[in-house]
Amino acid sequence: MTSAGGFIKSIESGSKHLVIKRFTLRYPEKKLKFVGDGYQFDPKRGVGIAGYRGRHILMHDKCTGCQLCAIACEGIAEAIGMVKVDEQWKHNKKGIMPQIDYGKCVFCGLCVDACPFYALFMTNDYELSAFTKEHLIYTPAQLAIKPKYQGDVEIVIDDRGATHG
Amino acid sequence: MASYPRDFRFGGFVVSLIWLIFWILIIVALVGLPLIFIILFYVPLPEVDGEVLTPYLFLTSILYPQSAIPVIETLLDTTFFKVAVFPGFTYAALIAAATIFIERKFLAKMQLRVGPLYAGKIEGILQLLADGLKLISKEIIIPSGSDKLIFWSAPIAFVATAAAVVALIPAAPGWVVADIDVGLLAVFAILGFFPLIALLFSWASNSKYPFIGGLRALHQLIAFEIPFILSALSVVILSGTLNLTEVVESQIQSYWFIFFLPISAFVFYISSLAELERIPFDLPEAEAEIVAGWLTETSGMIYGLLQLGSYIKTYALAALFVILFLGGWAGPQIFPAEIIPESAEAIIPVSELYEQTDANAAFWFTLKTFGVIMLMLLPRGISPRIRIDILLHTGWYKLIVLAFINMFVALALIYGGVLGPGGLLVR
Amino acid sequence: MTSIEEKFEESKRLGLQIVKESEEDRLMTLSVGPQHPGSGHFRFVIKVDGDYIVYCDPDPGYVHRGEEKMCEYRNVIQNIPHLERPVIHDSANITYSYSLAVEELVGIEVPRRGQFIRAIASELNRQVYTLYWLAIYGIFLGHSTMFMWPTGDREVIIDLLEALTGARVTHAFNIPGGVRNDMPEGFRDRCLSQIRYLQKRFKEYEDIFYNNPLFRQRTEGVAVLSKEDAIKLGVTGSVVRASSVPFDVRKAEPYDIYNEIDFKVQYMKTGDCFARSYVPLLDMQESCYIIEQLLDKMPASGEVRAKLQPNPKGPPGESYRRVESGRGALGYYIVSDGTPKPYRVKISVGSFRNMLALPYLLFGKRLADMPAVYWSLNYWPVEADR
Repeated sequence: MTSAGGFIKSIESGSKHLVIKRFTLRYPEKKLKFVGDGYQFDPKRGVGIAGYRGRHILMHDKCTGCQLCAIACEGIAEAIGMVKVDEQWKHNKKGIMPQIDYGKCVFCGLCVDACPFYALFMTNDYELSAFTKEHLIYTPAQLAIKPKYQGDVEIVIDDRGATHG
Repeated sequence: MASYPRDFRFGGFVVSLIWLIFWILIIVALVGLPLIFIILFYVPLPEVDGEVLTPYLFLTSILYPQSAIPVIETLLDTTFFKVAVFPGFTYAALIAAATIFIERKFLAKMQLRVGPLYAGKIEGILQLLADGLKLISKEIIIPSGSDKLIFWSAPIAFVATAAAVVALIPAAPGWVVADIDVGLLAVFAILGFFPLIALLFSWASNSKYPFIGGLRALHQLIAFEIPFILSALSVVILSGTLNLTEVVESQIQSYWFIFFLPISAFVFYISSLAELERIPFDLPEAEAEIVAGWLTETSGMIYGLLQLGSYIKTYALAALFVILFLGGWAGPQIFPAEIIPESAEAIIPVSELYEQTDANAAFWFTLKTFGVIMLMLLPRGISPRIRIDILLHTGWYKLIVLAFINMFVALALIYGGVLGPGGLLVR
Repeated sequence: MTSIEEKFEESKRLGLQIVKESEEDRLMTLSVGPQHPGSGHFRFVIKVDGDYIVYCDPDPGYVHRGEEKMCEYRNVIQNIPHLERPVIHDSANITYSYSLAVEELVGIEVPRRGQFIRAIASELNRQVYTLYWLAIYGIFLGHSTMFMWPTGDREVIIDLLEALTGARVTHAFNIPGGVRNDMPEGFRDRCLSQIRYLQKRFKEYEDIFYNNPLFRQRTEGVAVLSKEDAIKLGVTGSVVRASSVPFDVRKAEPYDIYNEIDFKVQYMKTGDCFARSYVPLLDMQESCYIIEQLLDKMPASGEVRAKLQPNPKGPPGESYRRVESGRGALGYYIVSDGTPKPYRVKISVGSFRNMLALPYLLFGKRLADMPAVYWSLNYWPVEADR
C-alpha cells in the first residue's frame, strides 16, 4: 500500500521535528541584531546606504529648514510638519525644523532621500509605542536623541535547522 | 466588564464587605441549616469502627487527630468519593486539563514554536486557568429564533454523557463508580447519544453553518460506531466477559490482548479518533469550510463546556483502549509495601491509608492512559482534514472488513485452545 | 438563434448558471463572506444542493481603496509607497512593473548592477509570497503544521530582505531609475546560506504535505482545468502553468536582465488542484537557482540608481510593461500628459483574472472542496480589489 508508505513518511517527518530546536525569537527578552546603523542617504552620489528604517534622527547642526522633507512627505503620508524652534543656528535662518507624527509615518524613507544636507537619517529604533496619540508626535528636540538599541540575537543556520541564537 | 472602573473608596469597600457577610448569614441561617437538618434526617450516616458517625464524633477528630484516620478510611470507601475524586470527576478533569496543556506544547514543539508561555512562571503552566477564567467571564450570545431550551441544555448533556462514560471505567481493582456486568455494552450505549446531541444542538442554533456541521457530525459519528463495536467484540471473544474489570483480570492471567489483536487495536484507534472529532476527522468543526461547524454559535461558557466534554471523552476513550488492549492496570510492582516502616505506633498513622496494590494499579493505569493520549495527539500535527466521502468509504467498507479479519483470528485462538478457560497461554 | 435550453446548458457548463425556478427550494444559499475563516477579504455567494455546489458568484470589492485614482495625485516617485500596499509581501514585484513602465515613459536607463539587485529582490519576494500562500493552503485544509512551517521559514527570507532594503515587508525598494540602496556587506554569503536552508526545507514539505495520502486524496483529480479552458478563461501565473501551458513572462517577454539568466519554466500537465498547488513549489526551487546565478553574474561594483531630476516627467505618451509576480502577469499601463503626475494608471493583476475561473471550477464540486479550489487559484483578495 503506497498510502501506508506516505503515512509513515509523514509521521517520520513530523517526529523528526520534535528534536529540532525551536525557531521562535523570545522577544522581549531577546532582541534582533541589526547590521549597520540605520538607513542613510548620500545626496552627492544620489544613492542610499543600506540600513534598517526605524525612527528618524535629525542633526540640528545641519538642518537648514528647507522643507524638502515635508514636501516629499506631502504626497505620501503627510507626517512631517515644520515647527519653529527656539535654537538659533547660522544655517537655519527661518528657525524651523521638522516634527514627525509617527501615527501617520509609513517609514518609507523618501524624506531621507529628499534631504540634501545630510541632516535626516533613520536609526534602528522601532519600539515607539505610546499611550496617547499626542505622544507619538516627535518634536525636533526629541528627534535629535540617538537611541540606544541593543540587539543580541540573529538567525543562526546550522545543519539541524535554524534558530534565533 | 465593559465599563470604566470607578475610583476606589475605602468606605465603599467596607460597605460591600458588610453586605456580603450579611447575605451569607441570612442564607446560611434561613436556608442552609434547615436543608442540612432535613438531609441528615433521611441520609444514612456511615459507620466508623462500629459507631455511627455523628457530627459530634466528626468534630472531636479535630481535637484528637488520631481518631480521624478511621473516618477518612470510611470516606474513601463511599461511592461519593469514587464519583467526585478517583476515578471520577476530579481525576478525569485533571487528566483532561493536563491533556489540553500537553497537546498545545507538544504541537508547538513539532511546529518549531513555543506554545503557551506567559501564563504562570514556568513556561505557561497556568494557561488553562487563564482560558477557563476568560471563558467564564465572556457574554453568552444566544441567536434569536433559536430553541432556547435545547441551546442551554445540549452542552450540559454533552458533558454529562461524557462523564457517564467515565463512570464505567475502572482505574484500579475495585475502584470503579459503576460496576456493571455488561459494562462494555453500556459504554457503547452511552456513546450512541453523542450524534443525537450534536444534531439537536446544531438544529437549535437556527443557522446554516451549524446545520451543515450537525449533519456531518451525524454521518461521521454513526458511521464509525460499527467498527468501534466490532473491534471491541474481538476482545470480548477472547476474555469471555463484558465486565471491564474482568477483561483486565483476564489479561493479567494471560498476555496483553494487543499482541493477539493488533488489527483490532488499530481499528479501535481510528474509530476513536473519529468519535472524538479530532483531526484528521474534524469535519463537523472544519474551520475553513463551515466556520466552526456545529459549534459556530457557541460563546463563553457554553463553548467551554463543549471543549471540556470533548477532552473528558478523550480520556474516557483512551482509558477504554488501555483496558481493552493494553492490560489496564497490569504492571510490575514498583511501590513498597509500606511507605514509612514501623508507622503503626506513630501518633497519627497516616500511612495506614496507603495501599500498595491500589497505588501501583493507579500509577500504571495513568501512565498507559497518557501514552495512548499522546498517540491520539500525534495525527493533529501531521495530517490535513479528510473529506466526507472518503470518510464514509473508510468507515463503512475498509474498517469493518479489518475488524472482521481480527475477529476470525480471535475465534481461531479460542477454538484452538490457545486462550480461553484452560488454554495454553493462560497462567 | 439558440434555444433557451441550449443557452442554459452552455451557461451551466461555464458555471454562470442562473438557477431554474423549480429547483430553488432545494438549494441553500451560503455567503462565504469576509467574516469567514476560509475566504480572506473576499466574499462569494454559493448555492448548495445537499453537498454539491451548483452556483458561485464572486463579489470582490471589499478592500477597494482606489489605488489607481490615488496615483493621479502624486508624482511618480511618491506613488511607490502606496502602490506596494496591495500585496505587502510581494511588494518588490508590484513596484517593479511600475518602475519599468515609468522608465519607458520618462526615458531613464537603469545601471546594470541596479538591474541585478532588482531581480534578486524580485525573486526573494516571490519566495516570501509563495511560502505564505502555501501556509494558508495548509490551514485551509486543516493542516496546522503546514501553516507553521512555511511561516517560520519565511522569517529567514524576511530577515534577508530586511538587511537588504531596511524593512521587512513593503520595502519601497524599487524606484524608477533603479533601487534605493546598494547591498550591505556580507549579504552574498548570508543569502546563499539561507537559500540552501530553504532548499532543505522543501524536502520536508514534500514529505509531510505533498506526499501525504490524505492531501493527495483531496486534491488529485479535483477541479481539472483543461488546457483549452485555461486559455479561454484567461488565467495566468501558476494556474495556467499547471494546465500544461508553459507561459512565464520572464521567458516570453524578458525584461531587465532575465534574458541572460538560464532557467526552465516549470509546468505540469494534469491541471487539477494538486498540480496547481505543486507548481509554486517548483517555481520556488527554480527561483533558488536563479538567485544563485544572479549573485554569480552580478558586476562587483557600479551604480545602482540613475540620477533623476526632482520631479521626473517625460513627453506625453503611454507605456505598458508587465512582470511575472507570484500570482501571474502583473501589468501597468500608464498614460502621461507631460506633467510630473501621471494622467491615468491602470493596474492589471493576475488575481483578478484568476478569479474568473472560480465559478467555472466550483460548479458540481463538494462543499469540502471549496477552500482547496479557491485558494489553489492563487488569489490574493487585496490585490484583486486594488
